[in-house]
Order: sequence, then structure tokens, then C-alpha cells
Amino acid sequence: MSASPSLASSMLSTMPASTASLPSFSLLEFQPLLPAAILAVTAMLLMLSEAFSVSKSRSYQAILAAVASVVAGFLAFQNTQLPVGLILDGRGVMDGFSSWITLIACFAAGMSSLLAFGFFRQRNAERGEFYGLLLFSAAGMSLLAVSNEFITLFVNLELMSLATYALAAFWRRSSRSVEAGFKYFILGAFASAILIYGVALLYGATGTTQLDMLHHQLPKALEDTPWLTWPGLILVLAGLSFKIAAVPLHMWTPDVYEGAPTPVTALMSAGIKAAAFVALVRVVLHVGDSSVVFLHLLSFLAAITMVVGNLLAIAQRNVKRMLAYSSIAHAGYILIGVAALFTANHLGNDVGVLSATNVANPTAETLRPMALQGILFYLLSYAITVVGAFGVLAAIEKREDDGAADAWDLNKLSGLATRRPGWALAMALFMFSMGGIPSTIGFLGKLYLFKAGISAGLIGLSVLGVLASAAGMYYYLRVIVYMYMKPSPETEMGARHWSTEFVLAASAVAVVLLGLLPGPLLDWLRQAALFAPN
Amino acid sequence: MIPTSACLLLSAMLFCLGMLGVLLRKNALVIFMSVELMLNAANLAFIGFARQHGNTIGTSGHVSAFFVIAVAAAEAAVGLAIIIALFRTRKTLDVDEVRVMKH
Repeated sequence: MSASPSLASSMLSTMPASTASLPSFSLLEFQPLLPAAILAVTAMLLMLSEAFSVSKSRSYQAILAAVASVVAGFLAFQNTQLPVGLILDGRGVMDGFSSWITLIACFAAGMSSLLAFGFFRQRNAERGEFYGLLLFSAAGMSLLAVSNEFITLFVNLELMSLATYALAAFWRRSSRSVEAGFKYFILGAFASAILIYGVALLYGATGTTQLDMLHHQLPKALEDTPWLTWPGLILVLAGLSFKIAAVPLHMWTPDVYEGAPTPVTALMSAGIKAAAFVALVRVVLHVGDSSVVFLHLLSFLAAITMVVGNLLAIAQRNVKRMLAYSSIAHAGYILIGVAALFTANHLGNDVGVLSATNVANPTAETLRPMALQGILFYLLSYAITVVGAFGVLAAIEKREDDGAADAWDLNKLSGLATRRPGWALAMALFMFSMGGIPSTIGFLGKLYLFKAGISAGLIGLSVLGVLASAAGMYYYLRVIVYMYMKPSPETEMGARHWSTEFVLAASAVAVVLLGLLPGPLLDWLRQAALFAPN
Repeated sequence: MIPTSACLLLSAMLFCLGMLGVLLRKNALVIFMSVELMLNAANLAFIGFARQHGNTIGTSGHVSAFFVIAVAAAEAAVGLAIIIALFRTRKTLDVDEVRVMKH
């Protein structure tokens, strides 16, 4: 293919003059960026506090990071009421979905900075840059949620990831932590490079990097230059599947989750997962309608991610690795919701066991809010639960254990119920919630997600999801058995810290309270609109 | 004028070389260089397409390349720091030796 000068010059003459001048933005358009701005400014302050610090005590750093997260989260919650639309010349998007994801990111950042407070205090490793990087990562998540253009998306994905690579390797004298950071960095950079090459190919095929314009150009591009468009789409989806840790690209997860300092693991599993999913949902929503292949691809990914994640978790005795594999399985469940988002457009295509069968006659208008509510509720419930679960691990972890091969063995939890009844109760609640026992938030998350899947006609997939989560109960219950039924060893427990206790208590209360009274939250999430192409 | 297809072919070759480098080489620094090669392959593709499309669709192709360069620089800063920390804990850059954590 080569350039056609005549076409180029004819279109040049019809080009509107306004593209040359600076666009004007209204103040409203910056409102969705406000939480990210607060997080980023506080992050810079924290970095500077380390350079110009005069006081010996560094306690204020964790508190400042937590306060900034709360303020940003509050603004994000207010932003959920904003009207839906494109902002900043189409580079970004303003909708309830992105605001809720920002809220999850702020929650994850606030909770993990409180966890890090006690964790690093115990290890004499408190540093301002830790909280700075943490907030930069949260700002990246929040901006990723509003991105509607591939370059914006790529830059924000990198902002989020680069900060997290550094966080994973933060404890730089521990060979485990550095190894986790290194593996995460190399594989993450590899995935980003794959993603951006896919974007370049799509840009070549459609002439745009903006998602809503891509949506309109894609059917034509698939016909004209399939040899360019298909590799582009596959590479983009592969890059994003890496970030959510879908199964063929999940290999980094257990090592990184195990090696990273536990508060960072909490941030990764709660925040990064949610932010990566919003990027995937946005891309899939804009390209998914163009071919039924995406439905097959996502259903297949969901199926193997659920099954493989659960199977690998069953074999684990290392609790931190077990939770890492279980996070892979949870990504699989959420992928059912993502597949449900655009199934309505492909009903009637008669294919396979895992494909869509028309049961409830759904339309895109009724199905999308339902699937969206399911995905958001699940991400929220998973974030609350997983922060608590890693919080318990951070609380019982001792400094001397770093580097020991059995640092997170199930035995470390033996008899926790007699030594720290509160922690054991909280951990039991988190395990119930992850497994999906009724009266916890995790149960409702699964309920709404599978409900969306079944309404979308993805019956085979939803049944597989229920079976997989039933199998998952085995390894969650095993943790409870160890805590409540094994004798306690004669070792000393680590010191307690109020911030860690606060995180555990808050998460445990939220798990039960939202599990019993989800009403208001569900109403809010139902109203959360998603900017969708038409 | 060099046709876009030649640009694209070169960028695809660079991308594949980078990918093979990441998958096959054992030295952490060489793997990191291979990742940079992949990013630059994307840059070349962006520039090639931007020239082909001309000014009809704005300048997003050219601008994209700048953003990718900036991100690659930031990535190098973080990446090299991590690689130095890795060398300090291990005294080697062979990735086969990076395996404290096993199932």
C-alpha cells in the first residue's frame, strides 16, 4: 500500500480550520481529573518531604497519603453524578464507571498506605518515596479510568505500572522483593511494548488512536486491511490481558504477589486489577461489536482463567501465592461480565457450548447496565476483601521471616484463633467472602456477575463459573481450618499497630455490612453510566 | 519516496527481533534492550503511517512517537534501577539465577 497524494490534498482543503487553533475546554471537563490531580500533588509533596525532611519522625507521611486518598475518593464519589460524555477533545471520557474505578483506586491506595505504616515501621524502612510512588500509581489508575484514546491510555498505564514496579522492588535489600520487581518490570514492559505496537498497527489501519473514532472506522478497516487490523487488535488485547493476568499471560502474578512487600501486593490486587479492567472494558466495548470472534475469545479467556486459576490455587500451601492464584481466578469471573457487555449484538450466531443462547431476549440497552453493575460491584467487593486478606498476612508477617522459604506457609496461620481471635475472625470473613458464602459482599458480587452472564445468555460460562468457585471453596476453607482447628505453635507474634488493626476492622465491617445491606450501593452502581459508542 | 510497506516491514522485523530477544536471551540488560527495541519498532510504525496518512487526520502519529520515547525514557530510569538492585542482591545478571521463589 502506498500514499495517495490526490486523496490527501483533497481532504486537506476540506479540513476545518479549527483543528489548527487551540481547543477551548470548559471547567467541567477537568472535574474527572481532580482526584488524580490531588493524588499526584500529594505524591510530589511526599517526595519533597523526604528531601527536605527535618523531623526524625516520618509518621505524618502515611497519614498524609491516607488523607489524600480519602479526599480524592470523596471527590470521585461526587463525580459519579456528572453527566456522561467525552472530555478534552475526545481524549478522555466522563462517566460514572470511571469515577467508581477511581474510588476503588483511592480506597486501595488509602488502605495500603495504612498497612504500609505499621509494616515498614516494624522494619525501620519508612520512606516518603514509598507513599509518593503509591499515590502516583493511584493517580495513574484514576487517569487510566478516564482515558478514551490509546496514547492517553498507554501513558497512564505506564504511570500506574512504573510506580508499581518500583514499589514491588521497594525493599531493595530483600532478594525476594527485588526479584518480584524485576520480573514484574521485564514482563510488564514487554506487555506494554506489545500493546503499543498493536496501537501503531491500528493507527495505520484506521488513521486514529481515539477509541470512539476507531469504533466507526473498524468495520471498514477490517474489510480493507485485515492483515493490519487483526494483528493490531490481537496485540492490543494481549497487552491488556497481561495486565489483568488472564490465563495464558498470568505467569508473573504468583511470583510478583509473593515477592512484593505485602502492602504493595494489596494495592496490586485491589487497585491495579480494577484499573486494568476498566481499560479492557473500554477497548472491548469499542472494538467488540465488529466481530463475533471477540465474544469467543473473551468467553474462552474467562473459562480457562477461572479453571486454571482455581486448580493452581488448590495445590498451594503458601498462602500469599494461593491468594495470587485466586486473584487470577477472580479475573476469570469478571471476564464473564466483560463478555456479557456486548453479547446482545451477537445473539443468534449459533456457536458452541460456551457461546450465547438467547434466553431472556436481552438488548444492548438492558444488558449493558446490568453487566456493568455486575463488574463494578465485583471489583469493589474484591478490592475490599483482598485488601483485608493481605492485611492479615501483613499483620502476622514477621521481620525475621523475610527470605525464609516457608514465610507464608499455611502453618503460620495455625491456631491464630486462640492467639489473635480478632484477626482470625476477620480472615475467616475475608475467606468466606472470596469463596462466595452468603451474607458476605463476595457472595453478592458473584450473584450479580453470574446474573448478568445468564441474562446475556452465557449459560455455559456462568455454570462453569459457579462450579469453579465451588471448587475454590476448598482452599479458602483450608485457611479457616488451619486458623481454628490446628494447635498454635509456641512462637511469638509480631507487634501490633493501630493502622493495621484499623484496616482489618474496616474491611471486615464493610464485608459484612455491604453483604447484608447492599441496597444503597447497588442503586448508585445501577445509575453509573458508561460512555458507550453508538 | 520510500513506500510505507518498507517502513512497516522494517518495524515488524525490529519488533520480532526484540520479542525473540526477550524470550531467548539470558542477560537482564540484553532483555531490557530488546524491550526498548520493541518500543522503537512501534515508533517506526507510527512515523511511517503518519507520513502515509499525511495531514488528513491530524498529527497523532507523530505526537504518539514522542510520547512513546518519553515513556521509554521513564521506563529506562526505573528499569535500570531495578536491574542494579538485582545485581547487588545476586552478583549476576543471568535471569536463570533469578529464582528464589518457586511454587
